[in-house]
Order: sequence, then C-alpha cells, then structure tokens
Amino acid sequence: MTQLDSTRIAMPGGTRPFASRLLADIWKHHQTLITRLVAVSIVLAFWEWSVESGRVNELFLSSPTTIAARLYQSFADGSIWKHIWASGEVALWSFGLSVGVGVPVGVLMGRVRLVRDTLEPFIIAKYSSPTIAFLPLLIIWFGIGVLSKVVLVFLGGVFVIIINTEAGVSNVDRKLIETARSFTASESQILRKIVLPSSLPFIIAGIRLAVGRILIYVVIAELFASTAGLGYLIFQAGALYDTPMIFVGVVILATVGILMNSFLRLLERKIAPWRFSSRGD
Amino acid sequence: MIDVNSISHAFARDPREGGGALPVIDDVSLHIERGSFVSLLGPSGCGKTTLLRIMNGLVTPQKGEVQVDSEVVRKPARNRAMVFQEFNLLPWRTAAENIAFALEAQGFGAKARAERIKETLALVGLENFANYYPHQLSGGMKQRVGIARALSVSPDYLFMDEPFGALDPQIREIMQIELLKLLERDNKTVVLVTHSIDEAIFLSDKIVMFSARPGKILTTIDVDLPRPRWQNDEEIKASPAFTRYRQEIWHLLKREVTKSLADSIQAV
Repeated sequence: MTQLDSTRIAMPGGTRPFASRLLADIWKHHQTLITRLVAVSIVLAFWEWSVESGRVNELFLSSPTTIAARLYQSFADGSIWKHIWASGEVALWSFGLSVGVGVPVGVLMGRVRLVRDTLEPFIIAKYSSPTIAFLPLLIIWFGIGVLSKVVLVFLGGVFVIIINTEAGVSNVDRKLIETARSFTASESQILRKIVLPSSLPFIIAGIRLAVGRILIYVVIAELFASTAGLGYLIFQAGALYDTPMIFVGVVILATVGILMNSFLRLLERKIAPWRFSSRGD
Repeated sequence: MIDVNSISHAFARDPREGGGALPVIDDVSLHIERGSFVSLLGPSGCGKTTLLRIMNGLVTPQKGEVQVDSEVVRKPARNRAMVFQEFNLLPWRTAAENIAFALEAQGFGAKARAERIKETLALVGLENFANYYPHQLSGGMKQRVGIARALSVSPDYLFMDEPFGALDPQIREIMQIELLKLLERDNKTVVLVTHSIDEAIFLSDKIVMFSARPGKILTTIDVDLPRPRWQNDEEIKASPAFTRYRQEIWHLLKREVTKSLADSIQAV
C-alpha cells in the first residue's frame, strides 16, 4: 500500500485512475523482466513475419512456429530421445571427470608450490592450444566410440575448472588462515574449513564456464564418426537441408545451457551470499 | 605469566624495494604478571603487533624467546586466544558458527560447543544475532563476535591486536567499557596492542611504551587508577591522575611518532 501511496503522491494531481497507477507500479518493480519480454517478443514476431510473408526463403530460416511444431513432434514421437541420451552420456561423463579431476588438481596447485610450479607449464601449453586439434590423435588412441568423445570434451572442460580453483585457493584471505592457526587448527582443518569454503565461489564459477565449453565440445565431438547425438542431429539435418531440425537441436542445447547456467548462478548466490551483499566488507 | 627474553626480529624486504632486512623489534625483554592487563603502545610500525604475534606463537622470532608459564612458545596453544583488528570472521559462517569454528579447532564436542556458543554470545549481548552472517552485522557487533570467539575457548591469555581500531570513536569507548566488564568475571591475562593513549590508560595495569622502528622499550608505566573502572568511566577519564598519565605518555611518544613519520617520508 505504501508503494501505491507514494506513487500517487509523486504524481501531479494524484487522482489518476487505479489501473494506471497499478501499471506504473508493475513497471517500477519488473522493469528488467518487462523490457526483456518485449524485446524477445518483437524479435520473434519480426522473425515469424519475415519467414511467413515469404521475404526470407524457408530453406535458410525456419519460422519460430515451425521450429516449435518440429520440436513438439520430435518429443511426441520420441525420435529425439536417442540423440539426447547419446549427447547426455558424453556430457555427463566428461562433466563428472572435469569436476572430479579439475577441483583436486586446482586445490593442490593452489596449496602446494611444488605442484603448481610442476604443472603450470603443461596447463598453460594446453590452455593455449585449440583442444579440437587433439581430436584426430584421440581417435587414434581411443577409437571412434564414446571414450574418445569423453576425453575430448573432458579436455575442453577441465582446464577452466583447474585454473579457477587454483585462483580461488591461492586467493584465500591469509588473515583467515592465520586466525585458524591462532586457534590451533590443524592443516586438514584449515583446508576443509577455510580454504575450501572460501574458494567455493571460484570453483562454482569455473564449473559454470566448463558447462558452456562442454556443450560446445559435445557438438564438435559428434561431428566425427557418430551415429547419434544432438551434434550429429544438427549436422545431419544440415546435410539434408532440414532447416527446422537444425534449430530443434540448437534450441535443446541452448535450453540445457541456460538451465545449467541459471542453476549454478543460483548455487553461487546461495553458497556465498556475502559476495552479493551491498554492505559487504 | 609471560616472559619475553631479548627478542629481536626483522622482516625480509621486498627485493624490488632494495631487499635486505627491515629490523622491527630490537632486543625487547618484558615480564607480564598473571592476571594483569598490559598494553603495548607505540607509533605505527614499531613492531608491537609482531611482538604480540610472537607471544601467541604465530611468528617465530629470529632472536630470543618467549616463555608462557615457563614454557617456550613455539606455536599457538589452546590457552592463548587472539582478537584481531579486522575481526577476521569467516564470511560464510554465522556469528554462532564462527564461535563454533574456534571450538571445533580445539576439539570441543557438539554439546560443549552449543553451550559455550550460547554462553559467550550472551556475554557480549548478541544472543539474538546468533544466526546472522558477518556481512549483516555492524563493526561493533562483528568485534563482539570476535571477542566471544576468543573467550569461548576459555583462554588464560587474551591477546588483542588493536581490537577497536576499526571502530568509530564512540563505539570504541563503549566496547572498552564492555571489555572491562567482561574481564571482571575471571582473572585473565590480557595483552593489548593499541595506538590510543586514552584506551591504554583506561584499560591497563601496565603500559609498555615502544620507540619508533625498530621497536625498543622506552619505558613501562604502571597505571594506578582504581578498579572497577567501567562503572565510573566518565569520572576516571576526567580525573587529574588520568590527565597526568596522558600528558606523561604523550610527552614521550610525541618524539617517537615524529621520528617514525620522518622515516616513512624518507621511505616514500
């Protein structure tokens, strides 16, 4: 009520109809959301119109409604699941490996100077070279099955986790470690109760970046010698000029990416509320 | 009882700034009686914080040794607790959990932890803020948590490194009064590092005055003001005796502060 009242007081005259005041109030509180919805709607409408009116050849661009229909159909007849499972298998394995290897290696590098100095040149060398260049080698080593794909995607995802974890661990506030020491905490307590919680936001940020890379590399891995998967689906559809199907693959990948990203952002905020506090210190 | 025996200490200077050693403490010896409140007072950079950290066992001195109850200090121990200028609370833990951290480090069980957290939070008047995170608390409240954390492990020795330095002057005075009230319950030995002459006089039995860097002991002053001081703090601070102490200390300190200022200007 106070919100409404103050809005009215701010308005000259102060006797505007209720509906108009209500709209002003909604706008004030949801400005960002409304702007985004309007922007997306305008782009979608223009897109739809440009295809449906025949101004853009349907071979090059499918209308949003066509894509939606195809998306619905591919779920309804179940044909899409094969591809989702194939990509999901590779993505999940490499995600698990990236986190399982990346976090411990990053922690060790951040805590133990010898480990950092030993591994750093390799990490820099690998991080600076295009992962995709390793694919032919990986196929020679691991064949064309799931394994070579998992290794490729793992290589694409793990380093950003290592680098972020190391940054988090080596940036732990020394004063907090000293405080723990002053209360006679053991090294293992310092690791578990100071170092890890304090670097958790960095670790999660690293995982968030890794998820993006993993999705990209899953698609790239499926470019070669695949029989299923969302990447396979997209390139197959491309070869057949099945434009709506390309978009179906893209939409699913984008949705997974957005969902994972929002989930990890939410987790970041839950885990480190003090980082997002205006008061902070 | 603390015995500081001929401590000297130097920091390694950054090679970019010419390297070498920067002496901070020069041959300091000191005796602190059990149950007394001693302040270390001196200009910035005189090594008083380093000396406190040496006494606690966080820093190993290059020369000399510290004995606490006739045992040589080599690392932090359970009967010594520290309160820090920047509070040093873990931001991901609530007030209660921050106190729990100290107790976990010293191996207290869950039940003992819960009891002590409740007790010490009540002691510093924060029983209603147990579940607040540090970023939700004011500076004064954060330091209350810092003090509660130190007291929770029932230390014999309480080391305070400019505990009220980050607080505004009014809160600072209130916190001094609260500290005296808290300490009245049991006979802890307190060593306080401070810049504030008034704070040192108001709280201490003994004030140890340091020279500019490298810190040497200039003199030791016994503060003979009646206790308890927290009840009539205003009268005590307005009393002729208090004023005389302040004058005497400032007279000695002024020269050292000027010296350390000239030093720091040269360094720039």
